[in-house]
Amino acid sequence: MIPQQVDSKIPPPATIEFEFDGHRVRAESGQSVAGALHAAGEHIVSRSFKYHRPRGLLCMSGRCPNCICTVDGTPNVRICTQAAKPGMIVKSQNAWPSVKFDLLRIFDKLHHFMPVGFYYKRMYKPRWMWPVWEKFIRRIAGLGTINREHGAEGVYDKQNLFTDVAVIGGGVAGLNAALAAAEAGVSVTLIDEQRELGGHLRHDPELAELSRMAAPGRSAFADSPSRTAEGGHPTVGDLIRRVSEHPAITVISSAGVFGCYEGNYLGIQQGQRMIRLRAAQVIVATGCWERPLVFENNDLPGVMLASGVQRLLHLDHCQFPGEAVVVTDNAQGYRVAKQLKAAGTRITAIVDVRDNPPETAEGIPIHQGSQLLGVFHPADSRPEFEGIRVYRGHTVVSARGTRHVGGVVIAPLSGHPRQTLSCRWIVQAVGFTPANSLLYQNGCKLRYDESVDQAIVIQHAPAMYSAGAVNALHDPRDAVLDGQRAGLAAAAALRPQDVELAQRIGQIGLIGRTSPIEREAVASAHYVSPSGAKKKFVCLCEDVTEKDICDAIDEGYSNIETLKRYSTVSMGPCQGKMCQSASIAICARHNGQSIAETGVTTARPPEQPLPLGVLAGRALHFSLVRRTPMHAWHEKAGAKMGDAGNWKRPQVYSSVAQEYEAVRQRVGVIDVSTLGKIDLRGADVVKFLEFIYPNRFANLKVGRVRYGVICDDAGILLDDGTIARLGDERFFLTTTTGNADAIDSWFRWWLAGRPEWDVRMTNVSGSYAAMNLAGPRSREVLKKLTDADLSSDAMPYLAASECTIAGVSAIVLRIGFVGELGYEIHVPSQFGLHVWEAIMEAGREFSIAPFGLEAQRVLRLEKKHLLPGIDTDALSNPLEADLPWIVKLDKEDFIGKESLARAQQRGDRNKLIGFRLSESVIPDLASLVLCDGKLGGRITSCGYSPAVGGTIGLAWVPANLARNGQTIQVQVNGRLIPAVVQDEPFYDPSGSKLKS
Amino acid sequence: MVSQRMWQEHELKDQYDVVIIGGGVHGLATAYYLTKLGVRNIAVLEAKYVGFGGSGRNTAIVRSNYRTPEGIAFYDLSVKLYEQLAADLEFNVMFSQHGHLTLAHNEKGVTGLTERANTNQLMGVNSRIIFPEEIQRIVPDLNVFGHSRFPIQAALYHPPGGIIRHDAVVWAFARGVDRGGGHVHQKTEVTGIEVQNGQVEAVVTNRGRIKTKTVLNATAGYAGLISRMVGLEIPIETHPLQAAVTEPLKPFLNSVIVSSTLHVYVSQTDRGELVLGAEVDDHASYSLRGTLAFLEGAATHLLELFPHLANVKILRQWAGLCDMTPDYSPIMGGTPDVKGFLMTVGWGTYGFKAGPASGKLMAELIVSGKTPKTLEPFALTRFYEDRLVGEKAAASVSH
Repeated sequence: MIPQQVDSKIPPPATIEFEFDGHRVRAESGQSVAGALHAAGEHIVSRSFKYHRPRGLLCMSGRCPNCICTVDGTPNVRICTQAAKPGMIVKSQNAWPSVKFDLLRIFDKLHHFMPVGFYYKRMYKPRWMWPVWEKFIRRIAGLGTINREHGAEGVYDKQNLFTDVAVIGGGVAGLNAALAAAEAGVSVTLIDEQRELGGHLRHDPELAELSRMAAPGRSAFADSPSRTAEGGHPTVGDLIRRVSEHPAITVISSAGVFGCYEGNYLGIQQGQRMIRLRAAQVIVATGCWERPLVFENNDLPGVMLASGVQRLLHLDHCQFPGEAVVVTDNAQGYRVAKQLKAAGTRITAIVDVRDNPPETAEGIPIHQGSQLLGVFHPADSRPEFEGIRVYRGHTVVSARGTRHVGGVVIAPLSGHPRQTLSCRWIVQAVGFTPANSLLYQNGCKLRYDESVDQAIVIQHAPAMYSAGAVNALHDPRDAVLDGQRAGLAAAAALRPQDVELAQRIGQIGLIGRTSPIEREAVASAHYVSPSGAKKKFVCLCEDVTEKDICDAIDEGYSNIETLKRYSTVSMGPCQGKMCQSASIAICARHNGQSIAETGVTTARPPEQPLPLGVLAGRALHFSLVRRTPMHAWHEKAGAKMGDAGNWKRPQVYSSVAQEYEAVRQRVGVIDVSTLGKIDLRGADVVKFLEFIYPNRFANLKVGRVRYGVICDDAGILLDDGTIARLGDERFFLTTTTGNADAIDSWFRWWLAGRPEWDVRMTNVSGSYAAMNLAGPRSREVLKKLTDADLSSDAMPYLAASECTIAGVSAIVLRIGFVGELGYEIHVPSQFGLHVWEAIMEAGREFSIAPFGLEAQRVLRLEKKHLLPGIDTDALSNPLEADLPWIVKLDKEDFIGKESLARAQQRGDRNKLIGFRLSESVIPDLASLVLCDGKLGGRITSCGYSPAVGGTIGLAWVPANLARNGQTIQVQVNGRLIPAVVQDEPFYDPSGSKLKS
Repeated sequence: MVSQRMWQEHELKDQYDVVIIGGGVHGLATAYYLTKLGVRNIAVLEAKYVGFGGSGRNTAIVRSNYRTPEGIAFYDLSVKLYEQLAADLEFNVMFSQHGHLTLAHNEKGVTGLTERANTNQLMGVNSRIIFPEEIQRIVPDLNVFGHSRFPIQAALYHPPGGIIRHDAVVWAFARGVDRGGGHVHQKTEVTGIEVQNGQVEAVVTNRGRIKTKTVLNATAGYAGLISRMVGLEIPIETHPLQAAVTEPLKPFLNSVIVSSTLHVYVSQTDRGELVLGAEVDDHASYSLRGTLAFLEGAATHLLELFPHLANVKILRQWAGLCDMTPDYSPIMGGTPDVKGFLMTVGWGTYGFKAGPASGKLMAELIVSGKTPKTLEPFALTRFYEDRLVGEKAAASVSH
């Protein structure tokens, strides 16, 4: 279970101290960094992206870009959701020399020279100008600075969970959804981004009270024993307690769902932990956030959202000294005015955008649903409204002030006449933007509904539900029922047989709106105040103004997506959370379209900015290290280990020359446990092998092994390996180390379409350790460890047998990659080290030596044995790769047959050949083979051959040069060096040693 | 500054000399170069808005350090055209040639890059192998000498490579077409192509039928569907390719960094965002929906290269569609089966960087009826003649 923090009231204020731009700031324990700065009178907390305008707190919910700072070295942290901690070091960003006095504000004065998209129209002529400009731009661009010293620190973690029903959002809708689903008998996971459950109710006591008043008769909990005595709903505290204590509900607090991926796969960030949650049903009860009004200087510190003010008041215990003006078009504005007033702020005026709020002869009654909050008169005499003047049909035109609000200009919607009111705070309560990004992400269809001024779901994605404010149900009484309805519906989807459940859903019925939407048909005045001023900011992240948007549309960028890309509106850190509503409204107005026609830009994960470290988790050095059972032995023997994919393999123990000599003269052993190994059984295995490989297998006898290659449909060589027949219907295959996984999938892919074939496949790559014992004395070594008859009569070249080696049952293949008498021995992994040590012990009298990959490479090169992927590439077929004997075009069918038949018909174009260099230098791999100065081919392998006494190699050359004795030119350090093509292997061309 | 309209909206005419399907960089570039060659009665049809597809979703890397002589010659032309594009189109497309580094973390990787360096130099392209000390000098923030699972062994350094403002390229080409007399029709979706006696006769759209003798399929993601309208099957499999962008940071990374071993590439825009991407998704799909697995993989791998970015945040992720051909090279030119049907498709993950070159050469092909020499290797017929242009790096194998 994840630790829950419920009803843990902020502990009694203990004061702590932290640092902001070098000053010490005191904070109550539990207070946010932003709250502490507000209390300390630090109102400029950041500078804007383009114009370096001062910015102050706005949303207090981690949505807007205004409070982004560097905290303890982490850039771009929103300090409004960051609890203050003792000793914390908070620094403002993007300002020089300081956030209070930023010389780069000069850009604000130069805005005439920087209209929307100005950089596309300038700085490119003459051509050398752009790099000069760009250098300058790159000096001032960006927000936070990366932390080179401590950026990599931190412990990250990942967790995987699953649940019947995931409820996203712990507000009134989410809490009720969770409880309803849990009481219906399914498991529930409730994810909430705040420290405590409750959503908006946490910071709005009046809403919290209202939430208890939902029609009890319709409630899913009408018969619940915990129903309150009055017959109403439980208090928020009771509700939270019931959710927290419910055994079927897991609460994940302080956690944000950043993505809903295919199949209700939720990505959740909880601090430095990422949780991957797979949910059968998902309920989105994410609520909404308030949107700002677009007016001149609307970005000045002191201009705030009403909910931001409420959070500072109720969660951070802050005050707003001085006078405030509230601009609103709904009841929220009146509530916040009342709450501010109660906290000691003088409310100069309420500016109501609505021409005609519901009015009676006595004045303007202000309702929240059916509850009367009060009646406002121009000069109200009751204490809670005293002195508040309501301006109907008015809006805010402009904020006055340079570094903080000093006044506000208001006007009727026509724009005139204007009047200036003195105030320190401008509080905006002009509507909400639903947090519907997860719904869009998961493929729900939404449409803008003018009657509620919000996009609402018209078709849900399968197994997804929405509840509460995302459904435009902003009245908590409606959200209660809507949450219960969604919770029951999600549970019912998992319990289709439950009749009672269906009845209870019917009991709730349709969720109507208790209170009408208190906004008249939506006019753009609800988004933008009427004035021709230039500095009316729509996008706070990118400093995009209303004029910028209109100019961009006039230039032809009229599509909302093109507009976004050109003007950069909504492309900043908030990803449109603050500006989406207004930018769409302005785009619609300017294009003469409706908001619905204008559409929205695509919602993309993550819903909130997501640290790379959280995504990476613990896997900073991401790949597993795979070690063979003999790994420790190799290290002890002083082997130089190297990477081979995820494996660690010995490259060389002592010296390549000594290891080479041991194998050629005496005996050596190499660890080949990393090979891919596949066990195939069944009546149709031969048929399958005949189909997969170009080789023939029908005639492979039990007890024999064959070299084979695998091609794709185009005849391209993918991999090679050995195929041993251990029984009539039993085969043991090896693949190369690097392709073990790919070949496993390749086999499964082809088998998947042939269910009628009796082929049972087991990947035994990790189950077997393997070693290759090679050299003229290898038989003598092995003889000491087994009773099996190893004579060439009993076990000739290319024999495969199962016998006991050093007391362990083994598969022994007599093959010789390095060109000597040799045995590839496969034993169960747990005995790998035992058998290896036994071989070393038995070989001691023959001066056995372990050998590494480097020696093996020379040994095999002398035999002209190719390495797929090294000596071949994505265009190499086995015909041209010097393996024409493998391809049996007279077979019925096999993968790549048609392509190989064509390739054979047209003849070779290029060939893989062996060559001897005329000089003793060793060219780099991939050195070019040139023909008349043009590219002819390339070297794929080369090295010094003790057998030849010179440099040998493999190379691709045009077919006309691929003749024995032909001279080719190899480019080495800019010089051409002749080399001679050689058909035969460089060592033991007859293979007599192999077969001895 | 008086702002001018970038492009006009026109009525759809019932006849055009050339109809180009796809309002991305390839379609618009071809149209632009056609107008320069004097062919003005042309239309570019875009189902959504210009730059909706791959042109707006790619990570805007431009380079010419390819592997095959055919590929190198072609992309070198493209880089050179890009270098003069801003002046040509009078629009700052912000081509930043700060260099491009492909990292190798194992011997096989070094070999592959060496081969490319050798071939690049042979073809006159500025590209060479550099080693850890020099890599660190060029990219001070890269984890070259610190702890790493697969330490960097070498890099292919390609100084002319860099990034460009991809949307700007699209808009500038669209404006160029408009100014040259061509029509750019957005929200115009092709629903059929009429062929009679092996000759294209008309294109049918959601806005009406257009008579034309020449159609260019310049789509991505849907190239196969459009080709099927004339009964042509092309060897293309469509895979999603994903990318992501971080919040803006003070610029610290000038070069483009690519690591195929770690399946990640990253660059930093002039706005300060890091743009990162990976390889195409394993499975064929038309889904434009991002996955969590991609983000986790890309983040993990990026942190291997830049560990101190752990607290840097991803702002958004997205996906595009890539039409993959068997040899990872495009298909350009016509088909003997249907006269008047041309294509510039199969652009996989490397289409944007080719826009101007493919546009210019396709325009020449349309006007002259003859395939320019640089285009010849990329004909559809190569798949029947087994003359592939192998740009797919060989699969990683160790023995």
